[in-house]
Amino acid sequence: MSEGGVVLTPRAPPGASIEAECIAPDRFAALGEREIAALPVWQGARMATLGDFFAVRGGRDARVRIDGDVPWAHGLGTAMGGGALRIEGSVGHAIGAGMTAGAIEVRGDAGDDAGVAMAGGVLRSEGSAGDRLGAARPGASRGATGGEIVVLRSAGALVGAAARRVLIVVCGDVGMGAGRAMIAGSLVVLGSAGAGAGRWSKRGTLVVVGSVAIAPTYRHACTYEPPHVRLTLTYLRSRHALAIDDRYVRGRYHRYSGDMAELGRGEILQWAAT
Amino acid sequence: MEIRGVTIDDTFAEAFTMRAARVVITARDARWARTAALELTGFATSVIACKCEAAIERELLASETPDGRPGVSVLVFTMDAEGMGKRLVERIGQTVLTCPTTACYDGLAGAGERVAVGRALRTFGDGFQASKVIGGTRFWRIPVMEGEFLVQETFGVQEAIGGGNFIILASSADAALEAAEAAVQAMAGMAGVILPFPGGVARSGSKVGSRRYRGTPATTNDAFCPTLRAVTSTALPDGVNAVLEIVLDGLDAAAIANATRAGVLAACRDGVHGITAGNYGGKLGPHHFHLREILARPAGASAGSAA
Repeated sequence: MSEGGVVLTPRAPPGASIEAECIAPDRFAALGEREIAALPVWQGARMATLGDFFAVRGGRDARVRIDGDVPWAHGLGTAMGGGALRIEGSVGHAIGAGMTAGAIEVRGDAGDDAGVAMAGGVLRSEGSAGDRLGAARPGASRGATGGEIVVLRSAGALVGAAARRVLIVVCGDVGMGAGRAMIAGSLVVLGSAGAGAGRWSKRGTLVVVGSVAIAPTYRHACTYEPPHVRLTLTYLRSRHALAIDDRYVRGRYHRYSGDMAELGRGEILQWAAT
Repeated sequence: MEIRGVTIDDTFAEAFTMRAARVVITARDARWARTAALELTGFATSVIACKCEAAIERELLASETPDGRPGVSVLVFTMDAEGMGKRLVERIGQTVLTCPTTACYDGLAGAGERVAVGRALRTFGDGFQASKVIGGTRFWRIPVMEGEFLVQETFGVQEAIGGGNFIILASSADAALEAAEAAVQAMAGMAGVILPFPGGVARSGSKVGSRRYRGTPATTNDAFCPTLRAVTSTALPDGVNAVLEIVLDGLDAAAIANATRAGVLAACRDGVHGITAGNYGGKLGPHHFHLREILARPAGASAGSAA
């Protein structure tokens, strides 16, 4: 993000975490500096203002920068519908939950529930992400339904659970239950996947270049060069500047169809090293 | 106007508004991409009987294609968007889907009109097909015996121009062909333009309708046939014994004008008496490419005019 825009500088870390769903660039575009500082945030059961935790500089701009680590701030970018939000450090839980457009860039780590139920836009973390990345909200039947999520390091459990249409890329390893009950969409793991990957997937695509335990409800189909994987990885290289090895882009993949306990129209594509 | 002793007629090429699509074919190597492209563009010289005009625009480096493989860019021209949809489904379905290792992408992402191609071809998958949205664009994965054929769901269609032309008047068939070949070589690979006739050259220029056969849409351009010099109202100067025509279709007037300039300059050589162009007196086509204007302008600056 270029200079300018709205800058939020964290004050001293609070004793307890805050829910700051009010931090959304498209909403800041219509608000002045004082109005932004007066936006409500929750700290436990106590209502406070954004200005209690951040020094606010600038206003009426859909470009927002948070100048430091805020692992104690949750819900940033919730339902944002445009603009750009950049966090110059790590951030708490549920960043970009339900976002529909715009771009979020986290220079550090993202907490749990990043991008849950997102429907559009781009969420990028240069560090790691916690559990349920791009998954469903508790009790919801659908996870992320659109947009793109890129995590440059690892992610926790249940990445992309119940997701539909979204493209999720994790450049490192993912925890257990990746792609669980995916309805559709793609999850690309450039490391290894934990236990239970792809269980109950309907139409989802799970691409894994490292190790992945194939569930017994998946059936091996063939070993081939999936053209859509090549296209996806080429796209990720150019769109997100990911340094993806040629071996994965041009490589052959073992195709496993499943989950036969569900529709059986999903797939796990595991890179074939030889 | 004369160029290297060749007379450039003070006339213009009359061209028509058409619709164009750009089809990008990739494959494991350039040979297979070219094979598919040649099949796709077969029997596509003239809308009069082929329902579309098509040819290879240029070969693409791996770095220029969506999936990082070698490719070929093809331009297809039809009279309307509806016809374009039908032609693309027929031709891609029969010549690219069937060709080993290929994938097929839209090359006019910014075009306002879209026609369904992958969406129509997907049914070949008989229910086993699947779609993927990558970068906001939907693609269809159609299972085939080799693996999968990947094709974009829709292709862009834009307004374009067909029927740009120039005519080489030469002292012999050999001289005409050498000049035409030089012109085609000079125009090869120019962006946004194709030469739909065999090898880029047409020997059978036509006129609209027939002087004898009712219902025949086009017949030989007798005024330019050397063998008919004595029996028709000829347009050929003395000493001209062979005539060849270069027909150009382009995405815009500038593409056609630039290619015309390059082609005519290359065609001005020994054995060529003159260069002229085909028109209907300005009554049929709104796009007029005046040869002398195009040749008088510096390269890259020339453009046709709309009457």
